[in-house]
Amino acid sequence: MAHNRRYLNRFFIRLALVTFTMLALGPVLWGVVTSLFPLSSLTSQPPDLNPANITLENYLLVFDTSRGLFSGLINSFIIALFTSAVALAVGSAAAYALARLNMPGRNLILMTILATQMFPGIVIAIPLFLVMSRLDLVDTHFGLIMVYLSFILPIVIWILKGFFESVPMELERATAVDGASPLQTFQFIVLPISLPPLFATGVFAFIETWNEFFFAIILTRINVKTVPIAIAEFSGQYTTLYGQMLASAVLASIPVVILAIIFRRFILEGFVEGAIKA
Amino acid sequence: MATLELIHVVKKFGDFTAINDISLRVEEGEFVTLLGPSGCGKSTLLNMISGLEDVTQGEIQMNGKVVNQLGPYERDVAMVFQNYALYPHMTVEENIGFSMRLRKRPKDEISNRVKGVATMLELGHLLHRLPRELSGGQQQRVAIGRAVIREPSIFLFDEPFSNLDAALRVKTRGEIKELHQRLGVTSIFVTHDQEEALSLSDNIAVLSTGKLEQHGSPEEIYSKPATKYVARFIGSPQMDMFSGDFLMIDGIPVYHIGDAEVPLPKKIIPPTQPVDMGVRPEFVMLGTKGFQASVRLVQPVGPFTYVTVDWTGGSVTARVNGVSHLKVKESLQVEFDPEGILFFDRETEKRRDL
Repeated sequence: MAHNRRYLNRFFIRLALVTFTMLALGPVLWGVVTSLFPLSSLTSQPPDLNPANITLENYLLVFDTSRGLFSGLINSFIIALFTSAVALAVGSAAAYALARLNMPGRNLILMTILATQMFPGIVIAIPLFLVMSRLDLVDTHFGLIMVYLSFILPIVIWILKGFFESVPMELERATAVDGASPLQTFQFIVLPISLPPLFATGVFAFIETWNEFFFAIILTRINVKTVPIAIAEFSGQYTTLYGQMLASAVLASIPVVILAIIFRRFILEGFVEGAIKA
Repeated sequence: MATLELIHVVKKFGDFTAINDISLRVEEGEFVTLLGPSGCGKSTLLNMISGLEDVTQGEIQMNGKVVNQLGPYERDVAMVFQNYALYPHMTVEENIGFSMRLRKRPKDEISNRVKGVATMLELGHLLHRLPRELSGGQQQRVAIGRAVIREPSIFLFDEPFSNLDAALRVKTRGEIKELHQRLGVTSIFVTHDQEEALSLSDNIAVLSTGKLEQHGSPEEIYSKPATKYVARFIGSPQMDMFSGDFLMIDGIPVYHIGDAEVPLPKKIIPPTQPVDMGVRPEFVMLGTKGFQASVRLVQPVGPFTYVTVDWTGGSVTARVNGVSHLKVKESLQVEFDPEGILFFDRETEKRRDL
């Protein structure tokens, strides 16, 4: 009886997982399929998905400069790279201080950082736009990076603070006894063991920034259009170029997918394990 | 090698006094254990000696020089931490050689010294492993290696065995003692385990809530405890304590514990203040002489059997050699060996030699 029930349980768990995976991956699969057919096959009723029609023409067309995908990729890359780099540099220093220094007002600072995350984007969209346009920062890389930083940085600080707190204090005490200066302790011990979580957090910040759509559409016009905007623009007033749109989406996903795979490996790698025998 | 002297040392964390006026002298090459239950301040005191924790009041001297203001490295101490604190991303070789690398010693010198230390600690075949690939005992030896390579003036050990299983603990204890005999470096060892303290130390400092209760050789601490606290803390099973009264019966001093009368040598003069009596299991004799009692508990532990007996108004544990055939509720007679009887002032809890 118990035996049967266990098999039954396992069956339902698997069924749920398969269903969930299909729901999650179905649209992706449909997107890839769509990107491989010419518009005429896709708009005919019913869609004509004869494998003979498969073509890479959508992928070639999207790199036409007037479409803005290429410049979108570059813009997104610049913005995501700078945002995650600055978030890491500033965030790790802040997180280390918040984790290790017993300073007055520490909890207040932490709660303030968290509080910035509590407003829905739409609440701050209009005031943010007004401020940014007064400062002449609309449609600039710098402006978008600053806005993204304000969202990403608090999350980065909280993630890294948790990590630094998990690094045993004894390690730093041991280096002090071994004769290391604080700088050497950072260079030889704290930095190397922090690389995996720093990298994982950086990848997280990069993906978040890369995918962001809402503030990008409000705060960019022509020069700084990011990839999500470029993709959205394949949908015009009169026609929607489904094939090209999805070809762009597939291309834009590639860096994120690669990063997500690396991200997963680093998250799983328990590097601090073995430092301390609990 | 160095001498160490603590002079009226105090440590406060805000309003909380962790170390309350401790003075202690450690001679060159001596192995001293700071012994006490958790929370007694022994690790804090060790951290103060190491320089990881600053001193609120008083002086710490090494070789006669005040070191209060010096960092751990300048004090030339090496420390083995409770959880080893091995650098997780470095191999055994890099862990042991780290202090030399910091001092920018040539690579082949580092490598030779590390190999020497590793061979001594039987780590030679593990040099390229990471800490997480080692067993607990091996990690522990790496931590010791990291301290040994420094050739420090003083070794500090912060409960280094607490993460090892019982068998390994006894083995490592022997290794540490041998290491100390070989290197002769002044060593301060922190533990809550009396057996470790008794078996390793030249001298033991017993601490309770930030105070030094007694400082002396293991024999002194065991057989002449300065206070009730030390008497109870050292020895397993614990020393039995009795709150009885003195009486003179036919010119012989007798200590009354409930119904029982314990006769004492004639030379003892009953004091005017009330005193408590303490006796360890090995000084309690069961047989056909003494006062009447009945067996409550028989606990064999291999070479000995601990037998607890009851009488109206008292109970005591005796140590019997080998296996005991006594049965629970069996009635017998109990005698205390006057050699092993200790008295403590009931008010001050200090030992009194009567």
